[in-house]
Amino acid sequence: MRRVLLLGSPNSGKSSLFNRLTGLSQRVANYPGITVDVASGPMVNLPDTELVDFPGTYSLEPISGEEAIAVSFLNEALADDHVSHVLCVADATRLEKCLHFILQVIRECQHHQKPVTILANMSDVIRDNQLQFDPAGLAAALGVPVISVSAKESQGFEPLVECPAEGAAPATPPSRNWRETPNEILRGTAQQLAAQFSPKGDVLINSQLRLDRFFLSTALGGLAFFFIMFLFFQSIFTWSAPVMDAVEALVSGLGEAVVPLIPNRVIADFVADALFGGVGAFLVFVPQIFVLTLVIGIMEDSGYLARAALICHRPLRVFGLTGKSFIPLLSGVACAIPAIYAARSVDSPRQRMMTYLAIPLMPCSARLPVYALLIATFISNDTILFGLVGWQGLALFFIYFFGMLVALLVTGLVSKASKNKHSEQPFVLELPPYRLPTAKPLLRNAWNRCRQFVTQAGKIILAVTMVVWVLGYFPNGGADLGESWLGTLGQFVEPVFAPLGLDWRYGIAILTSFLAREVFVGTLGTIFGIEGSEENMLPLVDHIQASGLPLGSGIALLVFFAVALQCVSTVVILAREGSTRLALSMLLSYLVGAYLLSLIAFQIVSLLF
Amino acid sequence: MNNALADKALWDLRPGEAATVTGFGDALSVSYQGRVMEFGFQPGTRVQCLLNPGFGAPRVYGISNSVFSLDKEIAAAVFVTTRPPQEASS
Ligand SMILES: Nc1nc2c(ncn2[C@@H]2O[C@H](COP(=O)(O)OP(=O)(O)OP(=O)(O)O)[C@@H](O)[C@H]2O)c(=O)[nH]1
Ligand SMILES: [Mg+2]
Repeated sequence: MRRVLLLGSPNSGKSSLFNRLTGLSQRVANYPGITVDVASGPMVNLPDTELVDFPGTYSLEPISGEEAIAVSFLNEALADDHVSHVLCVADATRLEKCLHFILQVIRECQHHQKPVTILANMSDVIRDNQLQFDPAGLAAALGVPVISVSAKESQGFEPLVECPAEGAAPATPPSRNWRETPNEILRGTAQQLAAQFSPKGDVLINSQLRLDRFFLSTALGGLAFFFIMFLFFQSIFTWSAPVMDAVEALVSGLGEAVVPLIPNRVIADFVADALFGGVGAFLVFVPQIFVLTLVIGIMEDSGYLARAALICHRPLRVFGLTGKSFIPLLSGVACAIPAIYAARSVDSPRQRMMTYLAIPLMPCSARLPVYALLIATFISNDTILFGLVGWQGLALFFIYFFGMLVALLVTGLVSKASKNKHSEQPFVLELPPYRLPTAKPLLRNAWNRCRQFVTQAGKIILAVTMVVWVLGYFPNGGADLGESWLGTLGQFVEPVFAPLGLDWRYGIAILTSFLAREVFVGTLGTIFGIEGSEENMLPLVDHIQASGLPLGSGIALLVFFAVALQCVSTVVILAREGSTRLALSMLLSYLVGAYLLSLIAFQIVSLLF
Repeated sequence: MNNALADKALWDLRPGEAATVTGFGDALSVSYQGRVMEFGFQPGTRVQCLLNPGFGAPRVYGISNSVFSLDKEIAAAVFVTTRPPQEASS
């Protein structure tokens, strides 16, 4: 199998091209440093050719983690006989930042006798703004072919599909020898070529500046930031509510239709309690995860995130973080695992460590089902201000805010305790142009995320609910939950949770949630399913309301879930990307912290109400 | 790199003001000096300060169509001259 490498500077459209040429869906976003690992896949039109997508890098002298990965993989790949061609992607509208790396790549490829082709991407932007760009001139100056392409419109790929495989490069200019050219000379050459070939005129920069004048202005920029964040949290509840209701109705309707058809009583009970009660309770929250991923995707694609990173840089620095931590932290609102990988783009090892500390405290989407369930139990779904602001959305905003606050307190305290200024790095970030987000990749990404969530978490939830159901149903056939095996087991754990006003059913649910947080909902669904009446399956919220869970315990649960590191995968990835010591000490300290904080919360709320 | 030509640091430019890069200060580590040069901040290149968000936040600079944000640590160590381009490069 032949391999073709796809290299280039950050945010030049490598992953977009990769997706077009392989039909896969690598993450694409309008922010430099999105791809943090090497990915590969066969090309659609050339199944025996494997295309390899690299993280972006500005040069062969890496500064951040993902750049180091790109460079070390490149060094390996250049020595690999299977690598038949190197494609170097440049943003044709921003040549100045791409040329130094292009020249370095051409030089290295000449050393290893690998052919290089430059893909000048974003030809649609060049055309739409009537800019001048001369690929032939650039090709002659570089001594390698330059092809104008647009990943957005799938334009200009024809020569690509033949060239890498056949070696029949399009219009190969007379080659130039860069083999012995040192970096300093390459820099000078890059500067000259940029002056000569980068599209002239200030159309692009002016249109970007108009928006930046608003989003980065001293007063309005800050307001806009808070407004966007507020909208973000509101949207999770308000936009997904109708779909959630529909899924809920569908699950219970389906349950009521299917269960009576099952002749065997034990199997019927199992289907009703574990499948529809347990797994169904969790499926209801999938629409929220869809909306969450979609909204984060819109923000990423618009180019706003880089501005948010800039705005947050100073405030985050107070807490030992940097503006570059903002993107991993925001990704952490969806899921801690990609967020931990995303932290590779934080240059300073110390600030990266602080980012690791903060990520598991970000309110991830696995917490969402738990939060949403508890909020729906205690807070009415009334709205104010003409339906724009809902109390439930507001409550979610507060509990999210609480998680973030704890994160900042932790990093602030830890960085104060271990002050070592030297390892902090200065802030340099390319600000990408604003772009109108494209619907299709965003929807596909949100859909993939949900599918992944359902299949991965679904498997765990199914397994756990099955075990919980068997333990709760036998030996007395579901007649008395307290006397079941689960009930006996529950007696052991109850003393731990009693100080929080939680009975053993919640205790068991919390214990199972250490596999993954959303399991909590499935376990509770199963337990209440066994306990509930046979005829009508109530939504889990109604069960909890009927169980008389005190407000203080509800809040204690919220606090516990906000702080504890209940996710096996996160611990594993933290150990891999950081260190085992870091992962284990975080697991332990966040557990103790979660318990103490929820105890305090329970005591305070119980005193007040 | 001719720092004698410099009359300002990049950080001192007001929004809208353009200048030509002349060199770098010693405060800038070799790796970050390399990085800003890869961005295009090379002696002889015209740069423009586009925005200053205030509150000590990183400022926004443009080179041709590329836009970068640099914090004070870096921008104060990039020297520029505001004299017209021909004079500055001579
Ligand atoms: N208009 C236009 N936008 C494009 C084109 N190609 C990519 N983009 C956009 O450019 C941004 C960056 O695209 P990516 O494919 O993530 O870039 P990348 O080079 O993989 O970036 P990193 O992985 O961060 O290095 C996204 O917002 C894309 O939608 C193009 O041909 N035209
Ligand atoms: Mg990418």
